[in-house]
Amino acid sequence: MTTSHRHRTTRRLAATAVSVLAAVSLAACGSGGSSGGGTSGTSAAGGTQDGKPVPGGRLKIAFWSDFQSCIDPNQVYWIESRSIDRNLADSLTDQDPKTGKIVPWLATSWTVSPDATSYTFKLRQDVTFSDGTKLDANAVKTAYDGLHDLGAKSTLGLTYLSGYKGTTVVDPSTVKIDFATPNAAFLQASSTTTTAILSPATYKETPEARCAGKVVGSGEFTLDSYSAGKSAKLTKRAGYAWPSSLIANKGAAYLDGIDVSYIAEDNVRVGSLTNGTIDIAWPRQPITSADQQVIKASGATIETRALPGIIGLLIPNVTAGRPLADLQVRKALYKALDLSSYAKTVYWDDYPVAKSSVTSTTPYAADESAKLAHDPAGAGKLLDAAGWALGSDGYRHKDGKKLTLSYLTNAAGPGDQLVQDQLKKVGIDYQIKVVTAAQLTPTGNSGDWDLSGGYLTRADPSVLGSSLDQAVSKQYTAKYSQDPATAAKISALFAKGLSTADPTQRAAAYKDLQDALIDNGVAYPLYDRLQTAGVSGKVHGFAWTSESFLRANDIWLSK
Amino acid sequence: MPDKILSPNTDLVAPPEQRAAVAHAAAPASAAPPAVTPAGVALPSHAPVPAGVGTPVDDAVLADGAVLADDATPPPGDTGAGGQVRRRRHDLLAAAGPLLRRPGFILAGLFVVFVIVSGLAPSLFTSYNPSTTSPTDKLKGPSVHHLFGTDELGRDLFSRVLHGSTLTIKATGGAVLIAIIAGLTIGVVAGFFGGWVDSLLMRLVDILLAIPALLMALVIVTALGFGLLPIAIAVGTTITPTFARTTRAEVLRVKEQPYVEAARTGGASWGRVLVRHILPNSWGPVSVLAVLDFGTAVLVISSLSFLGFGTPPPAAEWGTLISNGRNFLVTSPWLSLLPGLFVGLVVFSLNHIARTFEEVQR
Repeated sequence: MTTSHRHRTTRRLAATAVSVLAAVSLAACGSGGSSGGGTSGTSAAGGTQDGKPVPGGRLKIAFWSDFQSCIDPNQVYWIESRSIDRNLADSLTDQDPKTGKIVPWLATSWTVSPDATSYTFKLRQDVTFSDGTKLDANAVKTAYDGLHDLGAKSTLGLTYLSGYKGTTVVDPSTVKIDFATPNAAFLQASSTTTTAILSPATYKETPEARCAGKVVGSGEFTLDSYSAGKSAKLTKRAGYAWPSSLIANKGAAYLDGIDVSYIAEDNVRVGSLTNGTIDIAWPRQPITSADQQVIKASGATIETRALPGIIGLLIPNVTAGRPLADLQVRKALYKALDLSSYAKTVYWDDYPVAKSSVTSTTPYAADESAKLAHDPAGAGKLLDAAGWALGSDGYRHKDGKKLTLSYLTNAAGPGDQLVQDQLKKVGIDYQIKVVTAAQLTPTGNSGDWDLSGGYLTRADPSVLGSSLDQAVSKQYTAKYSQDPATAAKISALFAKGLSTADPTQRAAAYKDLQDALIDNGVAYPLYDRLQTAGVSGKVHGFAWTSESFLRANDIWLSK
Repeated sequence: MPDKILSPNTDLVAPPEQRAAVAHAAAPASAAPPAVTPAGVALPSHAPVPAGVGTPVDDAVLADGAVLADDATPPPGDTGAGGQVRRRRHDLLAAAGPLLRRPGFILAGLFVVFVIVSGLAPSLFTSYNPSTTSPTDKLKGPSVHHLFGTDELGRDLFSRVLHGSTLTIKATGGAVLIAIIAGLTIGVVAGFFGGWVDSLLMRLVDILLAIPALLMALVIVTALGFGLLPIAIAVGTTITPTFARTTRAEVLRVKEQPYVEAARTGGASWGRVLVRHILPNSWGPVSVLAVLDFGTAVLVISSLSFLGFGTPPPAAEWGTLISNGRNFLVTSPWLSLLPGLFVGLVVFSLNHIARTFEEVQR
């Protein structure tokens, strides 16, 4: 008996010791990573700087996660997969990251009808897919029809091709794409990975098989293997000769290939970069200022570009009976949020502050910052007027009910707790309702929440429609964020923005839309979105696409 | 598994062949003969393993103890052990003297008392509000103003650890309470009634023991939802089986004691024997196990909240704090390490206390 007891105790003590040891060695790993990074950094800094590109080598890049587990450019919305796809498949047009201008790629020229319902593209003659098939008007028709047939399977395609009527083959090198309703955003859409043209053979595969990697494009790399959530391997395509005019390297890629891995822990990803295991660390959330210092100290650089598209938003549930059904309360919420402090605290000191419902690099982005100013006293007055009186517990009450807003999320970050504290200062009880990823959509659809989050990347303001336009989107954010009267107003503004190809008129329409979203309390801009990447000193020619994805044509590695 | 593992005459006590096997195996370098009851029913394979040979598991103790209680001539090698078992008393008050002469125990005890008091009244030890953010003070290292430094939103980490104690103590207390009540009930019923009730309950306990603790806790929390109560239930369920096993072994030992037989002969009802004689005399080892399992429960609860199954923010259990600091391990290591060290110390202290109790009892 006693022997056994002593043994059990020993076992338990051993378990404790192991866990303590684990914690200590974990810490050792962390510091080891940074010191190791320092040495490798100096050697990298001492290497070749600029100069003539050297072909060869494989680029090792690590993303944070592969949640969607899909590689088909037509179906993915996941930013990281779109970065891979950009280098596998080409689109009809390309978009200049600096100006937002659409430039030729697979199409050499195009015409757009004034009412934005008909687009005619002239195709390049020398393009082949990696399976040997020639790119011609029929292939483009197969691709666009295939994308349209995906329906709701392609979250982005649904809005990009909104109003799609069909594609006509005019002659082997000319296609005409028609829309039943105006779609002025389509020219931009034709430059995205979502409308990338895949080989006709690809569209004979099931959507699931395409997701799992049965995709053939005409890009400067081909997909060797894709293991969802684990890795992707790309090999360069010999004889590639049709990049867009934005790319300096007119021939095949310098890199032999790209190895993609997924590292969930920020720490491990940064450590892998600084010790040379990977060449590019590409997280979703901006690299923290502390980690940036670690990366810079190792000789690597930080590349930064603001992502275009929907900004980090809070979207209200205005269903009758819920606190945010009252416009006064929704207005008070704008004044209660301190966006500048959010940017400084969660990110860093000169991090851009949210100014509108779309990010600053999105074409036609307006500046709504006057309406988004932090004014806790003003928020208090509005809430008082709405009947929510401050109680002795520091929270506001009305008819015996506490002013509680429940925020639906599957991953609460520090920003959410900052918002919680900001709202507490005006007497709003902000509850963070954490659910599993699997429960997120069902709970969202049930409407049992007051605020939910959302953002999406696309270099056109019409992207807001995929989250907020009840006429187009089936998402819960669209369904619950507007009462019928507001929804009619908002949908009309979305339609107006899409109805003309004229930039001045589009700018006016989207300014009205961005105003209306704030005036009616439909969307709460919270944080601007920057894509950051830690890039090793031996990587040269790093480039962003206009949607802030990776462009690997010009990348080469110094030995 | 056959219905009747043990022959009806000997009730729960091992049959003669098994006793022989125990005696035999105790002699070095001799293989145990095939363990077969007179009825030809195979014994559970673990039953013949005596304490001190191979890995001592609770069942071995049970077989050993049961044999000794019943057998007039204890097998060689175990001489005296039976007497020790019989003489053992769990009077913790009488043991207080030797306890106080152990500085390690006093230190561990003081630390645990500090954690409990600070968890129940955190404001006694810190003036900071655990959820008030202060963007200008973010990621400050440990100092006189902030003992444990500040986190990425400028909140005082020491205050967050102490307020986290409240939640962790509640969850741990709940879990151990659930385990004690459920474990005692199962163990007493199984040990006392024996027969098919025992077989059924112990096989259920076996099934529970076969599932890794953390995995089962995860399944239960996912089914019940996130939060303090689900975590307490989940962890309580995972540590119940050891309580049930230990209690059963003790009950088996105690119920063969002469005073129990005397009470029965004297006309006491089963219920009275159970409550007045068996329960008070069997729950000593269970109480030691309870202290030990506080440590285990703290670890499992911290693991669960580390994985994000804890109470929703801004409340933060110890595991949540460690998890939140992960991203700053290189640049601001105190965010993870200090709460981690705190948890480590708590578990270490609890284990030390339990071990000291055990040594003093011996």
